[in-house]
This record gives sequence, structure tokens and C-alpha cells, in this order.
Amino acid sequence: MPPLEVLLQQAFNGLMLGVMYALVAVGFTLFFGVLDVIHFSHGDIFMLGAFAGLSLTFAWTAAGLTHPAVALCLTFVGAVLVTGLVGVLAERGCVKPLAKAPPLMTLLATLSLGLVIREAVLIFFPRGADPKPFPAMLPGGLFEVGGVVIRYENLAILAIGAACMVALDLLITRTRIGASIRAVAQDPEAAQMMGVDLDRTVDVTFFLGSALAAVAGVLNGLYYSEIHFIMGIMGGVIGFSAAAIGGLGNVYGAILGGLLFGVLQTLAAAFIPRGSEFRDVVAFAVVMVFMVLRPTGILGEKAVERV
Amino acid sequence: MSGIGAVWAIELGLFVLVVAALLAERPAAVAATVAAIVVLAAVARLSARLWRWTTATFLAHRTAALAGAALCAVALPVLLRTSPYWTFVVTMALLYVTIAQGLNLQLGSAGVINLAGAAFSGLGGYTVGLLTVKLGLPPWLAVLLGPLAAVAVGAILFVPILKTRGHYLALVTIAFGFIFNILVNNLEFTGGPQGIKNIPTLQPFGYAFTAPLRLGGLTLPYHANFYYAALAMAALVTWLAWRLHNSWFGLTLNTLRDDEIAAKCSGVSVVRYKLLAFSIGNFFIGLGGALYAVMVGFVSPPDFDFGYSLIMVSVIILGGLDSIPGVVLGACLLIPLPERFRMLHEYRLLLYGLAIILVLLYRPWGLWPAAVRRYGLRETEVRA
Repeated sequence: MPPLEVLLQQAFNGLMLGVMYALVAVGFTLFFGVLDVIHFSHGDIFMLGAFAGLSLTFAWTAAGLTHPAVALCLTFVGAVLVTGLVGVLAERGCVKPLAKAPPLMTLLATLSLGLVIREAVLIFFPRGADPKPFPAMLPGGLFEVGGVVIRYENLAILAIGAACMVALDLLITRTRIGASIRAVAQDPEAAQMMGVDLDRTVDVTFFLGSALAAVAGVLNGLYYSEIHFIMGIMGGVIGFSAAAIGGLGNVYGAILGGLLFGVLQTLAAAFIPRGSEFRDVVAFAVVMVFMVLRPTGILGEKAVERV
Repeated sequence: MSGIGAVWAIELGLFVLVVAALLAERPAAVAATVAAIVVLAAVARLSARLWRWTTATFLAHRTAALAGAALCAVALPVLLRTSPYWTFVVTMALLYVTIAQGLNLQLGSAGVINLAGAAFSGLGGYTVGLLTVKLGLPPWLAVLLGPLAAVAVGAILFVPILKTRGHYLALVTIAFGFIFNILVNNLEFTGGPQGIKNIPTLQPFGYAFTAPLRLGGLTLPYHANFYYAALAMAALVTWLAWRLHNSWFGLTLNTLRDDEIAAKCSGVSVVRYKLLAFSIGNFFIGLGGALYAVMVGFVSPPDFDFGYSLIMVSVIILGGLDSIPGVVLGACLLIPLPERFRMLHEYRLLLYGLAIILVLLYRPWGLWPAAVRRYGLRETEVRA
């Protein structure tokens, strides 16, 4: 049994991982909410966000931009714009045309799109097969609280993630476009009758979800200081798991699911012998148990069975 | 009589083109043969009259068409004898026919989404490896026991399968697939990342499958042994799947897939049929993995990762969900094609992904969609 400090330390690390997972999971849940689809290339969109961010840091360095905070902000803004746009294009190309086909077709089409994005990064990014070092752009240094080591950069990751969640919440609950997203999620036809522009709402949702994945991708690069073109596979599966644990279609459930998955992983790594190898086994096993106990997630509505 | 001649002529022509495409060495020759097949298919498809005539002729002479196809399948290794590599690739396609028929029973017929196909075929393969290498069991027995291991371990998923559906079920199976892969990659007795090597080959009646096959005066590469074994297995499994599909069992699975509550109200035992479909499917998937293990001689974690589950799902969706011939077509296209286009090097998988998306956009029901069921009517009555 590891001491309490280890437990707290792992919980803190888990929280940070969880914030990144939650940002990806929110995308899954948003897309599911408005279109009832699982957009399986979302994990690769997350990876694309990280690579877009990395390319931009090169660009800023080349342009002679030395102020780290400004460079960081510009990196986020650029990655969000690029990745958000790709997300909208993915929806137009692969999701909308298959709206009338069986749901499995969307699954296969988006999976294939993920493959295309992955391969495109592998081929067109210089030496795309190698892991890429991600420059450190957050302030260094650390302090200690009750035996728990807290790095400033980790705090910054947590803060950026939390800020995104709060912004998303405000956007969904307080703005007009947020209202139309909620309306479409509830009933697309009724929403259209009330004057909601369905296509525009779907576009905005996909932009939003993909943009959050881009933030998660850049944060991932900053946290591990390395990114790799296949990181989207695991990122996507974990994001989907988190969204499903929380209840597909529920934004707060996705955030909760993401945090839960992150904490679960790090705790498993601390408590189980050879935990770092088996942490994902534990996490996925818990996902399966969750699905049995609450087949529609923690915050998911109980499925109404129509006769 | 002329109808039978036409059927055989079409099949022979197509067969010659396919063999030429497989054996072509230069990119230009590959492009020419593949283009010829595509153009012929497009011409037949675009001219409504020609298509109607072709399908009607094939339907009218179904036995002759099947016999012709069987003859082509038997003759294929003889024509490919100069190339062990291509014999191996077409054998893989046949293994995928077996696997995909199993997956189709789950996913296409019963609507039980299974995104862990690679894990179940891996269970078959690893069981063969463990039983032969660690316990010294004869390979033929291991190949028979392997699929049972897939069924038995699949039983763990019974509870979530009955409890969840749709995307949540997809997640459960994805999670299961990842757990399987991480476990075999990290456990001691499965050999870790190295996998299990030196799996003995099949030796029925003292005849080793790794010896070159002699037919009359011809010597075929040893891969041809596995080709014929895989062909027999694929044919048997496809025939079984066909019989199941056209029985009350297949119809019951379809009602489960289309409306579970209505099926329940009509007295269908959801539990029993879902479990039956899932178990029979896992048996076939495990069988494919077991034969793969004795064919290649080793199993390792990357052979059974998530990507292969996706390829299995692609095969049945692209071929046509719940369509027995579609599944065969899907496997025969999706497995050899990426190999044939290896000359495109790094662009291969990118184009593969794009091709799947394009096919889905233009044929969302698959290349050979499942036909509408025709219970109670004889074929002659339908045509009249």
C-alpha cells in the first residue's frame, strides 16, 4: 500500500490527464448530441491538433517571435482554427452524406477518415514516423504542498483545460448558438421548425468539438513534451470511453468521465504491481463494468424503449 | 445450354484477368489489368440491359456458376505456382472469408456490434500456440480447440452484450479488444511482445503442410497446402452461414437486429439468440485465427491489434451487411488489394482509406447488398 502522498500525487496527475481526456470526450458527446453519430476520427483530429500546434511553434520561432506567452496563445489560436476547420470538413465529407445510411456506415467512414488523417501526417509531415519533441512553452519550476509536488506547467495545463470547460459551459447555456445546439440535440425537427439553422448549428458544433480536441492535443504535447502520429488511436478510444462512461450526449458527463478515466489510470499505475503496463487494462475493465451497471453512462438518460 | 456457356465464359474471362492482375510484375501491367476488370464491371453495371441479362443468366444457372467458381478457386494455386507470396495472400483472403462470415453473423444478422474481432481471432491463434508449444498437443487438435477458447472467453462479454446496445456495446467490445492486446503483450506465458514462435504445422497422416505440394507433374509452393485447407474451411463456413441465414434462425436474428422489443413481444428469446449468434460467430472468427497460427508458425500481439478488428468490420460493411456473397466479395477485395498496391509505398494506406470512404459514399449498402428475403415463394414464381 503506497503512502498517502503517493496517492495524492497520483490523484493530481490523474486530474491533469483527465482534463485532456475530458476535452476530447466533450467532442464525442457534442457530435453524438446533435447528429447521433460517433465520429471515430475524432481521436486523429486530436492528434492533428497537436501537430498543427507543433508546426505553428516552428513558424513562430522562424518568424523571430520570442515572447513565450504570446507564442503560446498564437499556437493555441492557430491550432484551434486549423483543426476546427478540418473537423467541419470531416463532417461535411463523411458524416452528413451518410445520414440516411445504417449507423455502421458512419462508423466505418469516420474510421477510414481517421486512417487517412493519420497516414497524411505520417507521409507529409517531415519524418512523420518519428516521435516529435514538443517545445516547452509553459513556465518551469515547482512547489510542494503536503508532500505533493506541483509543477507550474501542470497547474497551467489544468487552468487552460478548466478555462475551456467554463467557456464551453457559458457558450452552451448563455448564447444563442448554444441554445440552438441544445435545441438540435433535443429534437432536430422541432428545432428547425422554430427557426434553427440545422446545417449551421451542426457546423458550429463540429468546429467547437474539434477545436477543443486541438487544445487537448497541444496540452498533450506540452505535458509529455513529445507527440507521435499514432497518439490519436488511444486518445480517441479513451475520449470515447470517457464520453460513454459519462453518458453520450451529456457534456458534463463527458467531463466527469474524462476526469474519472484519468484518475483511474494513474491510481491503477500506483497501486497495481507493474501498474504502468496494466493501467489501461484496469481502466478498460472498469469501463466494461460501468457499462454493465449503468448501460447508458453516469449522467446518461435512461433509454426510453419505444414500442 | 447457351446460358451455361455464357456463365462459364464470363467467369473464365474474369478469372484470367484476376490471375493476370495478381501476377503482373510491372506497375503498368497491374494498372492495365485492374483497369480492365474495373471497366468491364462498370460497363456491365451501367448498361441496365446487360446487367439484367447477366444477373438473370447467373441466377438461372446457379449450380453451373457455383461449379465454375469452385473450379477457378481450385485452379488458382496452380496458376500462381511461381509466386508463393501471392498464394499466401489469397490464402489470407480465404481466412478472412471465414472470419468475416462469423463477424457477419454477429454484426450483420443479429446487430451485435463486435469491434474486437482481432481479439477473438487472436484467442484462437494464441490458444493454438500455447497448446502446441507449451503443452505439446498435436496441431490438428489445437486448431479444433482454439475456436472453443474464443467462444469461452467471449462468454465474459455475455452480460454487457445483453445489457448494452449500439454505441455503448461498440465501446465494450473496443475495451475488450484493447484489454486482450495489452494482456498478451505484457504477460509472461504468452511470450510478451515476442509472441509465441515455432508453432508446429499441420501433419495429417504424416503429410507435413510445409512440404511442397505435388500434383501430378506440377510442384506447388507449400503455401498451396494451406490454400486448399483454407479454401475448404471458407467453403464449409460460407455454406453453413448460408444455411443459417436462410433458416428460421437467420430470420430470427434479423428481427432481433431490426426491433428487439417487437421480437421479444413475438416470443423470441433475445438472450438465447443473441448468445447463439455471438458464440457461433466467435467460433468462426477463432477458427480463422487458429489456422493463421499454424500457417504462419508464430503469433504476436501486433497480429491481433485494433487495426485488424477494423479491417474485419470493413470487409463485411463494404461487402454488404448480412449478405453472405457480399462478405466473400469484401474479403476477396479488401485483403489482396492493399498488397497489390504495395508499389504505391507509403501512399497505400492513405488511398485505401480514401477508397473505402468513396465506396461508402456511393454504395452505402455495400458492394453486394443483402437481398430481400423471399420466404414461401419458389424462385420460378418470383420470376414469373
